[in-house]
Amino acid sequence: MSLIDRYVHEVGRYLPRKNRTDIQAELRSSLIDALQDRVGREPIEADVVELLKEFGPPKAVAASYYPEGQYLIGPALYPLFRLVAGIALTAVLGAQLLALGIAHFIAQEPIASLEALGSLMNSIPSALGMVVIVFAILQWFEVRPESEGEAWDPTGLPEIDQAESVKKGERVFAIAMGIVILVVLVFFPEIIGFVSGPGGQFVSNPVITRYIGWISLSLLAGIGLDIWLLWRGRWETKIRIGKIASNLLGIAVLFLLIEGHNAWLAEHGGSGFLDAVSRLPENIANGWQVLGMEAFRLGLGVALIVMLIETLVMIFRLVRVNLRGGFSPERLPPSQV
Amino acid sequence: MVLMSRERESSELHEKLTQELRRGALVLAALSQLKEPKYGYALINSLAERGLEIEQGTLYPLLRRLESRGLLQSEWNVDGSHPRRYYVISPAGLRLLESLTAEWRRLTTVMDVLLEGTSGGG
Repeated sequence: MSLIDRYVHEVGRYLPRKNRTDIQAELRSSLIDALQDRVGREPIEADVVELLKEFGPPKAVAASYYPEGQYLIGPALYPLFRLVAGIALTAVLGAQLLALGIAHFIAQEPIASLEALGSLMNSIPSALGMVVIVFAILQWFEVRPESEGEAWDPTGLPEIDQAESVKKGERVFAIAMGIVILVVLVFFPEIIGFVSGPGGQFVSNPVITRYIGWISLSLLAGIGLDIWLLWRGRWETKIRIGKIASNLLGIAVLFLLIEGHNAWLAEHGGSGFLDAVSRLPENIANGWQVLGMEAFRLGLGVALIVMLIETLVMIFRLVRVNLRGGFSPERLPPSQV
Repeated sequence: MVLMSRERESSELHEKLTQELRRGALVLAALSQLKEPKYGYALINSLAERGLEIEQGTLYPLLRRLESRGLLQSEWNVDGSHPRRYYVISPAGLRLLESLTAEWRRLTTVMDVLLEGTSGGG
């Protein structure tokens, strides 16, 4: 893929959706015009690099296509604002739904639809308002998220690889859910547990309560890396290595939790989920607790398998991308430029 | 250190004000050269030949803004070695060009009078 294609593609990532394709087509056309005019021969890589440096970093070029004027949140900050606002809204929505679920299933309160809707109508604008205020202050002080300026190097432009692009919705959801779980773990750990039988009292999970620090650390690492990934918009080697490391930490934490559940269940006569279900009628006294812990262990086991597969896929992609090699200007024949 | 900082501030201010001065002039310059259809790079060359250098990153967004305000019209032409977008001034753009030109001439006359002698320190 030519350097011009990669540049145009990268500019497109920051362009307003409206007219994006048209602006990209014109940008490509003008780059070719400029190249043909100034080189007068078959262009080589260095010609393109020099031209792209003159055009400027993709973010700056894209920002120039936004309307001029006074901004509450200007073009330079807008992509980051959109990202943070999306995460904040998903987290608020997730937290509200979780609170509703807890109230209904644990506290056995009836779902009051109008009340829930009213609460959403309050929390969504206030979350969005907070994000807007923070970004308006950043805009006021002319803070720029990233200034590449003269140090910008066109040869560092990423390859156009759809497999390496990030599915934004998936990541925003993962971040929001991570934040919700983290908040629950840190501030309301007592609500993670199960009901000890029909009409029984709520029991917190003793193993999870013991490892809150490690779980939080693992979640924080995952959330941080997901935000970085969303901001960069594509899987880069350093992000992938970070995610693999964070997943390995997550796997270790899951092992700890499963071991903790094993120990608890061994102590309380647990011998598997299905066995706990079948023995429930004869052992009502602590049968529900054993069943609850078995269910947690099963859930943790599934999470462990999913995380192991995800980590193996990431390691495979890391190896594949690095075997294929990064961009090397010397390898590009002039005709491809 | 303080002196260097002031010099830098002064240079930044100069750059900012120069950009502001040029901004309005660039609209007039672009409109004046688009009575015949031209693609972006040809317009840059046309302006440069007459002594007005304009960066590509400035011109293309400007052309789009002028088009979105109905002052220019554009269409893709695929006859050349690669597709090019050609811009030409619209009837509304022509009217604005005339009024802006009159305003420009009036302003430059006044400014010439105001600035007379300032470069000599008088």
